[in-house]
Amino acid sequence: MVSGGSDSNSHLFLPQSLTTSFQSCLPHNIFLNVWGDGINCWQALSQSDGRWRYSSNNPESSTFAAGIALEALSGVVSLASSEIDQFMIGAVKNDIVKLFDSIEKYDDGTFYFDEKLVNMREQQGPLATTSSVVRGLTAFSSVITESLNLPGDKILGIAKFFLGIGIPGDTKNFFDQVDLLACLENNRVSIPLILSLPSTVISLTKKDSLKVKVNTVLGSHAPPLTVTLVRAFSSSARDNSIIENQELKFDPQDAVYFLDDLPASFDVGEYIFVFKMLVQDSEQQTVYATGTLTQVPIYVTGLIKIENAKIAVLDSDLGSVETQKKLDLAGESTVSVSANHLQKLRLSFQMSTPLGNAFKPHQAFLRLRHETKVEHTFVVGSSGKKFEITLDFLGLVEKFFYLSGRYDIQLTVGDAVMENSLLREIGYVELDLPEPPENASRPPPQPVDPYTRYGPKAEITHIFRAPEKRPPEELSLAFLVLTILPLFGFIIGLLRLGVNLKNFPTSAVPATFAVIFHLGIAAVLLLYVLFWLKLDLFTTLKTLCFLGVFLMVVGHRTLSHLASASAKLKSA
Amino acid sequence: MAKLLLYLTLATSLIPLFSVAFSPENPTDRRVLVLVDDFAIKSSHSLYFGSLTSRGFQLEFKLADDPNIGLQRYGQYLYDALVLFCPSVERFGGSIDVASIVDFVDSGHDLIVAADSNASDLIREVATECGVDFDEDPAAMVIDHINYAVSNFDGDHTLIASDDFIKADVILGSKKIEAPVLFQGIGHSLNPANSLVLKVLSASSSAYSANPKSKLSNPPSLTGSAISLVSVVQARNNARILITGSLSMFSNRFFRSGVQKAGSSIKHEKSGNEQFLTEISKWVFHERGHLKAVNVRHHKVGESDEPAIYRINDDLEYSVEIYEWSGTSWEPYVSDDVQVQFYMMSPYVLKTLSTDQKGHYSAEFKVPDVYGVFQFKVEYQRLGYTSLSLSKQIPVRPYRHNEYERFLPAAYPYYGSAFSMMAGFFIFTIVHLYSK
Repeated sequence: MVSGGSDSNSHLFLPQSLTTSFQSCLPHNIFLNVWGDGINCWQALSQSDGRWRYSSNNPESSTFAAGIALEALSGVVSLASSEIDQFMIGAVKNDIVKLFDSIEKYDDGTFYFDEKLVNMREQQGPLATTSSVVRGLTAFSSVITESLNLPGDKILGIAKFFLGIGIPGDTKNFFDQVDLLACLENNRVSIPLILSLPSTVISLTKKDSLKVKVNTVLGSHAPPLTVTLVRAFSSSARDNSIIENQELKFDPQDAVYFLDDLPASFDVGEYIFVFKMLVQDSEQQTVYATGTLTQVPIYVTGLIKIENAKIAVLDSDLGSVETQKKLDLAGESTVSVSANHLQKLRLSFQMSTPLGNAFKPHQAFLRLRHETKVEHTFVVGSSGKKFEITLDFLGLVEKFFYLSGRYDIQLTVGDAVMENSLLREIGYVELDLPEPPENASRPPPQPVDPYTRYGPKAEITHIFRAPEKRPPEELSLAFLVLTILPLFGFIIGLLRLGVNLKNFPTSAVPATFAVIFHLGIAAVLLLYVLFWLKLDLFTTLKTLCFLGVFLMVVGHRTLSHLASASAKLKSA
Repeated sequence: MAKLLLYLTLATSLIPLFSVAFSPENPTDRRVLVLVDDFAIKSSHSLYFGSLTSRGFQLEFKLADDPNIGLQRYGQYLYDALVLFCPSVERFGGSIDVASIVDFVDSGHDLIVAADSNASDLIREVATECGVDFDEDPAAMVIDHINYAVSNFDGDHTLIASDDFIKADVILGSKKIEAPVLFQGIGHSLNPANSLVLKVLSASSSAYSANPKSKLSNPPSLTGSAISLVSVVQARNNARILITGSLSMFSNRFFRSGVQKAGSSIKHEKSGNEQFLTEISKWVFHERGHLKAVNVRHHKVGESDEPAIYRINDDLEYSVEIYEWSGTSWEPYVSDDVQVQFYMMSPYVLKTLSTDQKGHYSAEFKVPDVYGVFQFKVEYQRLGYTSLSLSKQIPVRPYRHNEYERFLPAAYPYYGSAFSMMAGFFIFTIVHLYSK
């Protein structure tokens, strides 16, 4: 390890390896070499702007590396305390001052170190970089005898930066934050003191008093200080300061500085308070970084008196009052008025602060809402303490989309410093507007309630066509009987006529043929009935073929026999 | 050697099956790209990101103007969802721009956009593409003098405590959010004609959007409960978008802080931000409210196979199975308002399906006596759920000639006349031939 030469400088660099190696090396002539190597490192790797390179191979210089270097050098100095070269210490101090030139800042007075390296694999963020620099210089300042002259406001700015980020979620960031704050809590460079207010909202009704706390970064007690309220002015009138150079009293129990009483002329509003801290012990003033002036925005809130509220309906031309009603804005009562398009509606009230001054709230709206949910909002104008708005319906007819009917009136008055901001349904006005002309603009569509948009639809069942009306069954049965009656009439008629079966052939063969002939006719008729009942045409035709041929043969025999029998009878 | 090659090719060809990305069978997103303004947000919002990673999401953090970012490469999307926590970005780096973000959402992926009081025009444009309009005034913030959160440090009433939530268990979870939600940022309004956006957290009627530092001379354009603080959009392709005007709503500071609403004496130990945002992120990333319908079947009552055509006045039964994705598996979806329509140009029959509580829905009805080509349509749209749109075509024919009534009482006289004629003919043949 302690072999000298520039090629071993790179591994001399890590403070962890330094301390372990120191402990393992016992002969004290080693220390001289350590100091010599320390100087070699510094000469080789430190840059003119105060930053250091990671190794002789890497040309890039880094602020994070400078912080580690300072820590290592402080270790070297603490070990080689007998051989310290004061010139070298002075040069390192100059380097630290130059390093502070590269500090970056935000507009709100916080400072931090950051770097953007091209060749490194992982960027060290601003938290890690600043933390390493502060660690290095607090370690260095603790081992040297004289003090480092560092600008106190920059140390205070670094402390404010780290306090302003809240609690980081990343464990490495959290470690860097706590480490840096612990270094700043108690060090020989400068200890920043933080001025904070437990509450920036002061309520006149609750008679809050202004309280200021001064602590170190981790919350320990500060040395005795004088805290002065240099100026307090309203944010709207910056030149006019209401309080000047008021010293705050110290309450040792709670360890807060407080202002006894706000002067009686303190009204509600937004103010900016400027504080200054000074350490009482003049010797210790250089040890603590208090900063110059701290500006804090303060809101003083109170109850605003609203009184004399009236609503009136006026005639347009004459300006005379038609109806006027008093409004009780503190209570729940509502009023109702009616107007037509030739009249005007006037709402007026008076507002004053607890001290009786005029007050202009940020929000003073009059809203008219129609039954169809179309809304119109107006700003209530003011002059001094009097607030008044006049709605001339003649000019507003088109803006109201010619919608007549009931309009609900809502008044909203609010401000950041008003403790009694109100939203009141005053009542309603029945407005009678003329009919819209042809090309009047339609009122804008109102949003559909999402809960009704998505519900299930009504069920539909199909209504089937009613079957055609048929005649009643009794009617069909009656006609059935009527159609069968002629058959019976025919049989009766035949019997009356005296038909007989005398001509039936008597001999065997012709008789059988005759019988078969008639059975065949009956079979064909039965086939027709079967066809009507269940058969289809094809089987019917097939059967009919066979039956027909059979019937023709038999019929021919029978009929020819009958014809020859009657011919014999005729010729005889 | 050949065996090794074989195993290698088999292994590489199976790799796509092992990827756990977004797919219809597994709809929860997995890989999420988070674009931030600077990496401090990774630390100051670590509780919210921690809740996402603990549910299995892989978050990748990149700076919004990093020149190497891109949503897709060679036509494939690299991420399943995008979170934009970069309210002040002027120009996105790499290949991301408003058009590519809109394409990303159009292809079914989810998006979370958080603006803040210094929102750039680019973020406002992204929000307008999604359907919400932020207040045009760049210095405006939402102010509420009646429902603000009591705080010792924010005296200008821009820190709002709101508990006007949408009433939807599927979006906000079944557990009621007791504490109000802290909000500090810009508000937006929704177009009333847009049926896809929903207001999840709306401002109270005393809220308005204005610059707290300057006095008002004209009424502000956004007032009252038309101001939405947090909105969601569910697109027709079921992509979900969350838009809000306050990035600090997601921060650790707001998650951990207590809240007391002005005018109320109840002091809540912890704000409702963590529960609200965790539950709504579950909904946005499809861990809840994602439905699928499978196994659509229909058949005649009494049979079991699906016919190709129905006849009028048939009794038929329609059944479907609906499942909901629970984040890890498909659970049966139980509801009593799923309806089926028998539709040809207009619904002829609309019936509510009955369920067996295990995700199986069925209904029986009679086919109308109109013939034509019908469709079985299930159009299911409920607040917060993905929409189901099923349709199956089926023709319906009229009666065949032999399906009518066979014997009509009105025709008895005709039957009687025909048969009496046949009987008369038979008697006549006998009588005519053989009588003297």
